[in-house]
Amino acid sequence: MKKGERVFFGVCAVFFGFMFLQALGLMGKGRPGEIGSGLWPGIALGACILLSLARFLGSLWRGPKESDSPAHPAGESTVEKRKRRITVTLSALCFLAFMGLTPYLGFILATLLFIPAFAFFLGERRKTVLLVSPFLLTAIIVAVFVKFISIPFPKGVGIFASFSRLFY
Amino acid sequence: MLDIYAQAFATILMPQNLIAMCLGALWGLLAGALPGISTSMGVVLILSFTYTLSPMTAFVLLIGAYLGGITGGSITSILFGIPGEPSSVPTVIEGHSLAKQGRAAYAMWVYLLCSISGGLFSVGVMIVATPLIANFALRFGPAEYFALTILGLSVVSGLSGGSILKGFLSCFFGLFLATVGTDGITGEERFTFDSVVLLGGINFVVAMVGLLAVSEIMIEAEEPFKDYKGGVQYRGLRGELPPFSLFKKYWLTMIRSPIIGTIVGALPGAGATIAAFLAYGEAARTAKYEPEKFGRGAVEGLMAAECANNASTGGSMTILLSLGIPGSNTTAMLVAAFMIHGMQPGPLLLSSRPDIIYGIFVAMLLTNLLLLVIAGTAIRLFLELNRLPYSVFSAAIMILCVIGAFGLNNDVNDMFLMFAFSLIGYFMRKFGVPVAPCILALVLGDLAELSLRRALLLSEGNPLGLVSSPISAVLILAAVFSIVYPLFKKPKVLQGA
Repeated sequence: MKKGERVFFGVCAVFFGFMFLQALGLMGKGRPGEIGSGLWPGIALGACILLSLARFLGSLWRGPKESDSPAHPAGESTVEKRKRRITVTLSALCFLAFMGLTPYLGFILATLLFIPAFAFFLGERRKTVLLVSPFLLTAIIVAVFVKFISIPFPKGVGIFASFSRLFY
Repeated sequence: MLDIYAQAFATILMPQNLIAMCLGALWGLLAGALPGISTSMGVVLILSFTYTLSPMTAFVLLIGAYLGGITGGSITSILFGIPGEPSSVPTVIEGHSLAKQGRAAYAMWVYLLCSISGGLFSVGVMIVATPLIANFALRFGPAEYFALTILGLSVVSGLSGGSILKGFLSCFFGLFLATVGTDGITGEERFTFDSVVLLGGINFVVAMVGLLAVSEIMIEAEEPFKDYKGGVQYRGLRGELPPFSLFKKYWLTMIRSPIIGTIVGALPGAGATIAAFLAYGEAARTAKYEPEKFGRGAVEGLMAAECANNASTGGSMTILLSLGIPGSNTTAMLVAAFMIHGMQPGPLLLSSRPDIIYGIFVAMLLTNLLLLVIAGTAIRLFLELNRLPYSVFSAAIMILCVIGAFGLNNDVNDMFLMFAFSLIGYFMRKFGVPVAPCILALVLGDLAELSLRRALLLSEGNPLGLVSSPISAVLILAAVFSIVYPLFKKPKVLQGA
């Protein structure tokens, strides 16, 4: 069992435990038969705690056995893993930045910047694809969602808002 | 009755609905055909298009995407040996073997004709069964509804994949998420931590988009850079139509497989995958002609899997429309669509909005026929789409996800909530916790809790009141059986799948 899995289920148990304490605060009886706001989430969270702990303890118990027989050659596996983690982290950060910048830059500019950046982080290196696709995709998205479906996307602030107003 | 159908046909044949049907079917075929996009992901991505549409047009679009996705999953299965959907694995075994023998076009036509015939059969069953089941369900009180939701949640065993324990963890997490927000009975705030964003509860669509679509792209991002290039020679389908004698020869498979598909599709949690495997297994077991070809390009195996695969859609839609219980990820998206348009699927909908229910019947019927035309003529286009740069395609999906979350309430906070769910979904997938049970529980959780609390109020706190009626007792027993059975027995055909 991987260390990461142990951490994951450990964190889950702590999170569900914290929420369970919140649920306990919601327990209370009113009319006969009224079970209060806390019982149902309490049951769900109680089950979550038990299941997370079961996986956590299970991983502790099985850990040494499985760590004795590594599935991948150590060197290659570590480099690959690090590469994968960097790709996922960068693409997630890029996505977060897109959402964070949209209210300031406006939807169109943020989309124009996001598409090549995200494609680049995923490994795209062809210049034509990186240069042409953002304009093409943004044009399609604006035509469908702004002009046809009329979703009021953020326009941005200051000069960016003026730019957005040229389109919607 | 005929008046209602005439009206439904007239509505569906209106230009905007016909366009929506064509676009939905095309998108569904595309989503099903492209590796990395599942039918449920296809449906959730297209949900954002439906916000401003009329309810009927929205459902026509979504039905098109649903049926198209199930049908399209087999295109890449036959041509490239890549199952677009888990239910297409038997199609890969037989269909791709036929393609490797140089009979790709022939296999494509067999698959298309069988898919459509299976789909049409199940729509027929749906049209007959839905009003009957819905009328019966009108007798349901809170206890019966609670039992029904528990039966709906019991599908977790079927949706859990490898670990049932992790499946239940996901399910209980979904039930917890459904309680976030203002309590529907007491008005108390639960787990909101004074956040206005969480006051109204967690929106299904926002959670679904994050858990299902964005997390999938993040998982895909871990894989080495993909640059799909289709390498299949397309020689045209004309002249390769299978003869009528083929269907006459395998008439038993053509009748048996849609029946299996419809029944299995109606069972909560079973769905297209189990239906396809069961029908395929049954065809292999009872094969009269060339049984030795199974696994190496048996036309009968392909026919059985495809008939059952598409027939499962009618079965699961019957249960959704008559009882309001989604049996799968994709039908859970349709529940969200009903709620977006201010409706609650279930027995009352048949009397309150018959136009929608009968419209859906007609839309499913026509979409199946339309799929035959579209898929038959657009296969070449789908092959070309496999050459699209995957990186840009992923970026487009991410933008669609943002639009889906933002467009719901035009609120930027929903985008960040969706991002939080995408991280949760990513880690869940990473550590083998299936996301499907969480989504299902999030959809059903509210109804389950409200029904339980109402039933207990009526019985003055006596828990036996929950099983006092024969209907609720039978439903609870069925739920227990549905949970326990997979723990002890896994269908032989699914072992190792």
